[in-house]
Amino acid sequence: MKSLFKTLVACAAAACVASAALAERVLRLDEVAVGELDPGKASDYADTILMFNVYDTLVLPRQGGPGHVPHLAESWEGEGTSYTFKLRQDVQFQSGNLLTAEDVVFSFDRMVTLGQGLSFLFGDVEKVEAIDAHTVRFTLARPYAPFVSSLVRLPIVDKKLVMANLADGEGEMMDWGQAHLSANGAGTGAYIVQSHNPLEETVLVKNDSYFLGIGEKAPDTVRLRYGLEAVTVRTLIAQGEHDISSQWLPPEVMKALADDGNQLLFEGGTGSFYYKMNTTKPPLDDIHCRLALANAFDYESVLKVIAISENVAGGTAATGAITAGMFGANPSDQPLQRDIEAAKAHLAQCQYDPAEFSIDITWIAEVPLEERLALLLQANLAEVGISSTVTKVPWALFADMVSKPENTPHVSQIYVTAVTGDPDTLLYGMYHSSAAGTWQSPEYLNDPEADRLLEAGRAGATDAEREMAYSALNERLLAIAPTIYGYDQLSVFVARPNIKVPAMSDPSMAFGLDTMGFSFRLMEIE
Amino acid sequence: MAAVFRLLAARIAVSALVLIGVSILIFAIARIIPGDPARIALGPNATSEQVAKLRAELHLDEPIWAQYGHFVHDLSRGELGTSLYTNRPVTTDIAQFLPATLELLFAAGILMIGIGLPLGIVSAKYRGGVIDNAIRIVSLLGVSAPSFVWAVILMLLFAFFLPIFPIAGRISTDYEIAQVTGFLLVDTLLAGNLAAFGNAFSHIVLPALALALSGIGQAARLTRSNMVETYDKPYIEMARSYGFPGWRIARRYAFKPSLIPSLTIIGLDFAAMLGNAFLVEAIFAWPGLSRYGVAVILRKDLNAIVGTVLIISATFLIANLIVDLLIAFLNPRIRYARSPQ
Repeated sequence: MKSLFKTLVACAAAACVASAALAERVLRLDEVAVGELDPGKASDYADTILMFNVYDTLVLPRQGGPGHVPHLAESWEGEGTSYTFKLRQDVQFQSGNLLTAEDVVFSFDRMVTLGQGLSFLFGDVEKVEAIDAHTVRFTLARPYAPFVSSLVRLPIVDKKLVMANLADGEGEMMDWGQAHLSANGAGTGAYIVQSHNPLEETVLVKNDSYFLGIGEKAPDTVRLRYGLEAVTVRTLIAQGEHDISSQWLPPEVMKALADDGNQLLFEGGTGSFYYKMNTTKPPLDDIHCRLALANAFDYESVLKVIAISENVAGGTAATGAITAGMFGANPSDQPLQRDIEAAKAHLAQCQYDPAEFSIDITWIAEVPLEERLALLLQANLAEVGISSTVTKVPWALFADMVSKPENTPHVSQIYVTAVTGDPDTLLYGMYHSSAAGTWQSPEYLNDPEADRLLEAGRAGATDAEREMAYSALNERLLAIAPTIYGYDQLSVFVARPNIKVPAMSDPSMAFGLDTMGFSFRLMEIE
Repeated sequence: MAAVFRLLAARIAVSALVLIGVSILIFAIARIIPGDPARIALGPNATSEQVAKLRAELHLDEPIWAQYGHFVHDLSRGELGTSLYTNRPVTTDIAQFLPATLELLFAAGILMIGIGLPLGIVSAKYRGGVIDNAIRIVSLLGVSAPSFVWAVILMLLFAFFLPIFPIAGRISTDYEIAQVTGFLLVDTLLAGNLAAFGNAFSHIVLPALALALSGIGQAARLTRSNMVETYDKPYIEMARSYGFPGWRIARRYAFKPSLIPSLTIIGLDFAAMLGNAFLVEAIFAWPGLSRYGVAVILRKDLNAIVGTVLIISATFLIANLIVDLLIAFLNPRIRYARSPQ
């Protein structure tokens, strides 16, 4: 027994020596499983982090301001239904192959054929063609103003590498390289996939031949772990064995870690938290009843519910139907206000007697914080004499429920984010009558004026036209109140003090696109 | 020996029937519970057309009996389909995660037997004394709290306040160990890397202890009560009157007959640990099958649910089979109960 103990002690000591000898800049962070590596299927947070680091796109959001800048593209021209991109000629894939226009065409065809992830963004693209080795043209079926912003969701894959690794499947393209790309990278990105286990961990290493170069202090190795529990992350960060948490830590744990000297990182401006009202279901089919609920809601207290510390919360005050900072949004110094008297006045005009109905409020079971938000709304409604019930619903069941208006609850609580950073991807899916009945649109809004303004925002030729359309839409949505606009979401992460992430700590360096802040090449480890 | 083989054959036949029953039951239940697997798999942004396309690929648009036919056809070729959660064959996932869970279970089982049974023996021997009372209190504490509570307590004590043990994963990232058996403690030894073995050992201590504490308490309490009962038997009195030493009486005459009920419970506990392992695996970021099982249930990943449940059922049946054989070996009356003699 003694000798066994001595052996174990010796082994543990050897382990310490070995780990000290392997000093390098290693960044360790976590996200919710599962990490989908295939860029054509990326949609969740972990998938997108992988995508933005292993692959590149033709354009990138401009840091610290609106608009986009060329990335794999050298320049572009076009408007309306035709866009032509000139590619950089100095870009190599991680395999050593040179980037060409054929790779762009292939990446587009692959994404649209697979029909997964965010491929729906390219539904209006009629044709993509390689004009020459470094020029590619996109032809659209109809004008789509946010087209360029959609390209941040079109990662470019190495056609030659994928074609050499096709596996069993139907047709000439067999499996389109799905088996290969679910376990390996095929991009031009700043980080190369060293190992990938979609439920456990993905290890990335620096791509020293990256076409933009990577700073010396950027992580040499990144370990993205999946599915860590809050208590585990709390202990690991305290022990110095973890560097950046996910945004899903409970506020109390974030506060405790911040109190221990760790920093908080932020990413926001692309989405909000909503209480969505089913406009087809009595009593919420009456506009006055909806306005009563919207006016009864306490827009100040909700920020206390999501508070992490005295000065930091998981969101900022909502200013209207459109997240602050986007086209058409109200200024951030004009937050929505609770107005009990207005709520009572609207309730008096409602055709339904509040004594005879009860509002069912549902919250998504996978997001425990939502229960507090549901209870806040319930308390607010009680103050104006509206009774309500609060129900927890698993996501899987919720997505089914909202497919029919009669099964959709009175109030559904949902976070929605613009996947390209453009208001079109936030608002069209929520409020256009053709998009009703999805998880984003349990309002079942059917308002011709809102439809018209959404179409105008989508087709606007200039920023001024779009601003005008969305501004009018904002006003219209506040007037007809299909939704209670809870707060503008701010994703908060805990990071150890030696990690520098300008894109998530300095607003002038922020990308205005969720997860883009996790571009590891722009981080520094001191 | 022939009787043992007959018993084994009968048990295997029953186990096969149970597995078929479980496969039908879980296949049906997984499809009845609300939620569209295709919608969940494709994520919130998928269009209705994309969802319909995937439903057709998964045969979800066919009647349930036809779906079961596809499942049996795949199973006959050793395939369990593709997981919608990981986009990999379910067999690949199981092959990857099962060894981690089995290693954890074996370690917890060794702790349960290696600590629980001796505690029970000592407690019975010193019945009514200070040692007995102390062991009874410790055992009661062990069974009173579920494994995940112990996991958090152990983590706080031995990783947060006293940073002695690591808390996440199976081995430090400094080591690259070639997978031979999937059991890291074995693979590190096969690789001749003692430092890696020590590291893997330090990683498994806390999760195994958290998982085993309840079983340790149960084994100790059960062994004690059985042995106390046995100590009152006349043949023990006779052994005492012959002047046999106390430890010899305990080991040879009191412990062996008391072992059979304890063994039955330990066998059941071992299999039940598969279920309890989920939260322990989650807390210690242990990449095992239990955590995978819960994740796929939440995502309504039909192929993975059926595959995982079948493997867990098979493990449960094998554990019980081994216990039955051990009991038959220890107690000839059970072994020969069905023999013609």
